[in-house]
Amino acid sequence: MPFEVACRVLAHQKGRTALAIGGVFVAILLIFIELGFFLAVPQGGMLIYDHMRFDLLLVSKDYVFMAQSWQFPQRALAVALKVPGVAQATPVYLGDAKWQGAAGGPRIDISIIGFDPGSRAFAAAGIESRSAVLARADTILVDGSTRPIFGPLTVGRKITLDGRPMTIGGRYRLGTGFLGLGVALVDPENFFRIFPRRPSGQVNFGLVTLRPGADPDKVAAALRAVLPTDTQVLTRAGLTRQEVAYWTTKTGTGIIFGSGLVVAFIVGIMILYQTLATQVARQLPQFAMLKAIGYRNRALNAIVLAEAVLIMLLAFLPALGAAFALYIVIRRETLLPATLSPAELGAVFATGLAMAAASALFSLGRLRRAHPADIF
Amino acid sequence: MTIAIAPSTRSVPLAWRNLLSNKRRLARAVAGIGFAVLLMLVQLGFKQGFFDASLGVVRQLDGAIIVMHATKYRFGSEDPFPRADLAKAPNVAGVASVTPLYASWLHFFWKSPADGKSYLVQVFAFDPDDPPFLLPAVRADSARLKAPDAVIVDRLARPFLGMASGARATELNGHPVQIVGSFALGPDFMSDGTVMMSAASYARLLTDNRASAASLPIEFGVIKLRPGSDVGAVERGLRAALPAGVRILSKRQLEEFETDFQANLSSAGPIFWMGALVGFIVGMLISYQVIYTDLADQLPQYATLKGMGYNTFYLLRVVFAQAALSAAAAYVPAWLLCLVVYRVIGDVALLPLHMTAMQTLISFALTLGMCLLSAAFAIRRVVALDPAEVF
Repeated sequence: MPFEVACRVLAHQKGRTALAIGGVFVAILLIFIELGFFLAVPQGGMLIYDHMRFDLLLVSKDYVFMAQSWQFPQRALAVALKVPGVAQATPVYLGDAKWQGAAGGPRIDISIIGFDPGSRAFAAAGIESRSAVLARADTILVDGSTRPIFGPLTVGRKITLDGRPMTIGGRYRLGTGFLGLGVALVDPENFFRIFPRRPSGQVNFGLVTLRPGADPDKVAAALRAVLPTDTQVLTRAGLTRQEVAYWTTKTGTGIIFGSGLVVAFIVGIMILYQTLATQVARQLPQFAMLKAIGYRNRALNAIVLAEAVLIMLLAFLPALGAAFALYIVIRRETLLPATLSPAELGAVFATGLAMAAASALFSLGRLRRAHPADIF
Repeated sequence: MTIAIAPSTRSVPLAWRNLLSNKRRLARAVAGIGFAVLLMLVQLGFKQGFFDASLGVVRQLDGAIIVMHATKYRFGSEDPFPRADLAKAPNVAGVASVTPLYASWLHFFWKSPADGKSYLVQVFAFDPDDPPFLLPAVRADSARLKAPDAVIVDRLARPFLGMASGARATELNGHPVQIVGSFALGPDFMSDGTVMMSAASYARLLTDNRASAASLPIEFGVIKLRPGSDVGAVERGLRAALPAGVRILSKRQLEEFETDFQANLSSAGPIFWMGALVGFIVGMLISYQVIYTDLADQLPQYATLKGMGYNTFYLLRVVFAQAALSAAAAYVPAWLLCLVVYRVIGDVALLPLHMTAMQTLISFALTLGMCLLSAAFAIRRVVALDPAEVF
């Protein structure tokens, strides 16, 4: 019964209903946007890891986040290889260099990742197909989302890295995450040509892949037992936890978008409440009539709740569509990887339902006071 | 008839009385519109705070003109130049003093007294007799920096750095250092905390460095002018006297240089403008609801007025006046609440969130705009009103 009545009420004045749906649409869209930003921050921190092949990651005990990873002794990788279940342990180097055009101009900070192309460290088409390019002396692959301030990223362009002449050998597109304004890939030989003063026995990351069937948690425990304390072992899940905790609690960015999320939720309740309170006010004579002919408060409450849920449902789908369109814009404009997993989508839906219930609850007060005798 | 009655009630503040007639409805309207205002204000504040944070150090430089390497693309990028490049600067007419400033953003790892881990920090180093910063605490404590390996730290740095923990000693790049004082600067979006020290300590603590402070390249030359000298003239004089490899900027130009970099490369501007726009749309929807409901409730009264001979223009004025009044009524509490929100979020996110006249002006204009706009949408009912239909 309540749903039928609610449907009729909503269908009765289509203009008003459209307005209500519009309001809730904006509220849900706002939640999607803020959530998108909030999640994009740790996702930005994970972006490059997400495209690297490893089951376990070895990093220094002082590891903070990717760009502040510190270094650990490379011999840990040899130790790791002997642990049962480990198939491969690949070193990856990271350094900051100054990029400058051949004709001079600004000297811009760029992150340089050094890795052996034969190790298949990166799962990205533009990188894997260019092993031969990386093997050339003084040649780099540059990320296509490196910012325009670096100048054209055309293949064959001569540039310098920390004063050493280099050639752009190709472009790939992965995103720079939070490694800064630009990222370039080189093989280890070129890496140490760019950074001649860097000790060669130190690496930033060790990518450990496991044999088929090996359990990551068990191998991680075995690794921790044999590796010195200056090296820590992170599973994929452990790394995600670490990055999410860092970006959402230690940096200003996470806190800002987190507070934006809270504001969006409150605004959503405000809008829904306004809408419902208006609807209830308008239908008060009818509600009073229902009361007069014997319906209990509970039945009337159910009608209002049904209205709230219906409005929310009708607003949710278009908001979802608009959110995905906006995510595309955000990804393009801010280079943050705004995406939403099914679980997060479900959470927004549940939040929407909670908002609907909360605002229905608030607007019931008026209904209770609806006294049949007062209305006419 | 119309002319005879209308002037006599012109003195009745109808919009005002309408607004106050139902206190519950007023509270609901104020809460609804107020939240939209708060949303806009918070987003505008974030945007301002982001840019203010990145200019925090620049504004604290104690000099009218700053010299830096011509290839530098932002304030916080390491790109030092030889100290000798400044040799001729003191002889330029109008220059009172030239202070070299060493800076590093990539080479100093601070061991946090809070959790024992090491983090990258922003480091400034200078002659303790001549600190090139306006921060009062830096000026007061700089004499203490003469002791070897003495540092002063930013007590507003991010908490995990433990700079406000009261610890007296820790390690920088693995060397023990003494914490002899603190200043209030705050982090920006690039560095979590700042450490200051003498040039001699800087040369000693810099990893793999054997050069003395005097032979290390410097990041900035901070130039003070003699009283009464013209910044532009001194700038021209410096450009003629110094080598072409350095860039000479007034402090204001350096602020613009940094703001331009942030505006071009970071997405903070568009993100927060988008947030403010969403606030505007939300506000319009809410205020439309409010005004529409109100009009619906008062329709018989408006019809009566119309029937008595008031023209549509008068009724429109009442509706718009009421919309403007609700905007103002919602704006004031939202503005006050926003001060609290700025305070709380600013403390948590360590972001310099301040209410400025500009933010107040922009947000009030937006609030007024959204209420009047939604009144314009809702008003069609009054225009089309036929007294005979209502009763």
